Amino acid sequence: MDLELSDEQVWLSESVTTLLERAWPPPEAVATAKDEQRRRVWDRLVEFGALTIGAEDGLGAAELCLIARALGTRLVSVPFLGSAAVRMAVAPFLERMSDEVNDALAGGVGVSLAQLEPGSSSWFDAPATEARRTGEGLELHGEKVAVEHVEAADWLAVVASLDGQPTLAVLPTSATGVIRETRRSFDETIPLASLRFDGAQLSQRDALAPALGDRALERLGTIGALLAAAEAVGAAGAVLELAVRYAAERKQFGRAIGTFQALRHLLADMYVRHSSGWSTVLYAAASLDDDADDAARNASVAKAYVSRSAREIAHGALQAFGGIAFTAEHPAHRFLRRIVVRERQFGDAAHHERILGAQLATRAGAVPRALAEASLP
Amino acid sequence: MRLSLTPAEQQLQEEVRTFLDSQPHLGRRLPHALEDRIEALREWQRRCHESGFVGRAWPQEFGGAGRPPVEQIIVDQELAAAGAPEFVNVVGLDVLGPSLLRFGRDDQRRRYIPTILSAEEIWCQGFSEPEAGSDLAALRTRAVPREDGFVISGQKTWVSWGQFARWCGVLARTADPSPYRPRHRDISMLIVDMRSPGIEVRPMTQITGHAEFCELFLDDVVVPRENLLGEPGEGWKIAMYTLGHERGTAALPRQVKLRTWLDRLIRAACARELDGGALIDDPRAQTALAQALVAVEVLRHHAYRSVGEFLGGGAVGPESSTVKLLMAEAEQRLAGTALELLGASLQEATPEDAGENEFWEETYLYSRAASVYGGTRQIQRNIIADRVLRLPEG
Ligand SMILES: Cc1cc2nc3c(=O)[nH]c(=O)nc-3n(C[C@H](O)[C@H](O)[C@H](O)COP(=O)(O)OP(=O)(O)OC[C@H]3O[C@@H](n4cnc5c(N)ncnc54)[C@H](O)[C@@H]3O)c2cc1C
Repeated sequence: MDLELSDEQVWLSESVTTLLERAWPPPEAVATAKDEQRRRVWDRLVEFGALTIGAEDGLGAAELCLIARALGTRLVSVPFLGSAAVRMAVAPFLERMSDEVNDALAGGVGVSLAQLEPGSSSWFDAPATEARRTGEGLELHGEKVAVEHVEAADWLAVVASLDGQPTLAVLPTSATGVIRETRRSFDETIPLASLRFDGAQLSQRDALAPALGDRALERLGTIGALLAAAEAVGAAGAVLELAVRYAAERKQFGRAIGTFQALRHLLADMYVRHSSGWSTVLYAAASLDDDADDAARNASVAKAYVSRSAREIAHGALQAFGGIAFTAEHPAHRFLRRIVVRERQFGDAAHHERILGAQLATRAGAVPRALAEASLP
Repeated sequence: MRLSLTPAEQQLQEEVRTFLDSQPHLGRRLPHALEDRIEALREWQRRCHESGFVGRAWPQEFGGAGRPPVEQIIVDQELAAAGAPEFVNVVGLDVLGPSLLRFGRDDQRRRYIPTILSAEEIWCQGFSEPEAGSDLAALRTRAVPREDGFVISGQKTWVSWGQFARWCGVLARTADPSPYRPRHRDISMLIVDMRSPGIEVRPMTQITGHAEFCELFLDDVVVPRENLLGEPGEGWKIAMYTLGHERGTAALPRQVKLRTWLDRLIRAACARELDGGALIDDPRAQTALAQALVAVEVLRHHAYRSVGEFLGGGAVGPESSTVKLLMAEAEQRLAGTALELLGASLQEATPEDAGENEFWEETYLYSRAASVYGGTRQIQRNIIADRVLRLPEG
């Protein structure tokens, strides 16, 4: 057991931060970032190895979370979440998939995750989208919403049902029968689309057979929740830092507003939420890297906690800024928007609390009797 | 970062399990009367220490096991999983012990550390006074230096376990106030024998009905010079170090205890009925339990990340205030959940529920102190604002 980041992890985190500082505009200018800037920063990240995942010397969940946090801190707009989560999810099953998919994932292509459907909640596993068997392959039918970065991603990973069971289907974005439509995005720095699948074809091998598909989706849910949470922690930390700086500079009643205890306590609470949010994400990521039995449960704890606390931090920051943060050019709302979007993905707090609660109830019989007897206040 | 255990760590885990399997104590209800309970708990800590499970990371020459700090975490985890009670000498282990190790001379460490670990001698903490709570540096207790030591007079209050303690870490003024020196520079830390003439301990009944803390009156109590910890005037520095451990390190055993409580609450929720079904099957109950679980787990994850380094005797900084706030939050959330879930059935207790109800009522009441002792919630926020966020001072 080793609870500290390794030297390599610290180095990775610092390197990514430096890379992003050079290649991505500051928060107040992110809305003006061009597609070309997105492409460039994404290329650099891929070149750096951000998608070299799994295997012997590849990145694990903890490293991916360090990267996701850095992306959130700078509000970077790249298809990292989908690309990384899908690679982690299918890593154990790659040999069952086609050479094309293997080549694509081994290289640096971006992958967009098409998971949610019209009217679905923040996480769901009963897709109406269907992979139908035809003579030689599969045909995809259905509709997906809230798909990020389709422009920048050459591949799609679609949560679809196969033989009545949910699984993950992987196909090129350019396949015929994939119809995309740009949608309004709550976080306008993240391009959003809806997708319609009108008989798009894919190889049998690229939709995992039910039992494997289940496991791949579980892995996807776990790593996806962690990456979304890590990014939200990054965004929350950045907006907290801006608020702390502002509190030291802004004067009212002849003194810095950071001298008022009401505000100091608000900021202190925000700090606690941020620091502990990161602790729980990192712990859950490390447990996933260890293949621990409770990795999915830890991810639920982390996502439930960060979903609530990251937004609380953003709200606190808006309060600390007063009127200025209500202007469109002030970056505070951009952090809030990123946080809200990540909160809705891979299950919000209510979703994960439901899962954890149900688990507690079923596991209850297994609590050792001694527990109930021996403790005292 | 790696959470999995090395073979050596797995072996330790096995050792703890084997030890636990052989303990008749486990699974038995602890005596209700405070005195008897303390004795049972003292015996429990002694046995655990004999087997090397207390002070795992403390130096071997003073009775510790001299092992890496994570081993204590592993041991605590196993104890929790088995539902073992907490170590009774908490103040010695998590509050004053670390300061003795850090600031004590070798002869002091040899004298005090082994009996802290074995619970042979219970410790208490004499910091707060009627007029000096949050503003601890306003304390008035005087320790007048004389040739062979000090003579202490004053009043301490809220001294936890004072009636059971053999030793007390007392903060007292050893110099007259001077306009040329900040007031906290006159404060020293003294190790006071609770059997000394001039000591009077008056237990105070708490809102739980138990008398777990005391008023402590010191009337010309003679303390030998060798019982000074650190240098004269270093008391404040030592006190801050001590409080850092109380707020930080103490989270490790505390989170263990909170997890045993959570499991106990789940069992209670299984046993109770709600509108004809089991309470545990109610979705709202499940959500409330899940929220309590999240609070307790986050405390654990955060404590692991930040406390690991304190255990080895490293510096405890203002970060311990974050741990302290999370600790109070988790405890209050859990106890509040118990109150809400068991709600109605707490009032209409059947005789067979009575013991369980009493436990939860006490636990709930006690949890309200978690944001007061060790420095109030407001004081922790002040510390974070000042020393972590470095906001301008008013
Ligand atoms: C169960 C229990 C066990 C304890 N055990 C011990 C022990 O073993 N040894 C020991 O020495 N002490 C012990 N204490 C005492 C504890 O440390 C004090 O109660 C605590 O530091 C608060 O001091 P006070 O009670 O005088 O409250 P006060 O300091 O009078 O505070 C009253 C209120 O004012 C607020 N306040 C005070 N100053 C500020 C400020 N600057 N900014 C904002 N708000 C402020 C506080 O947050 C609190 O809400 C124990 C207390 C309890 C409840």
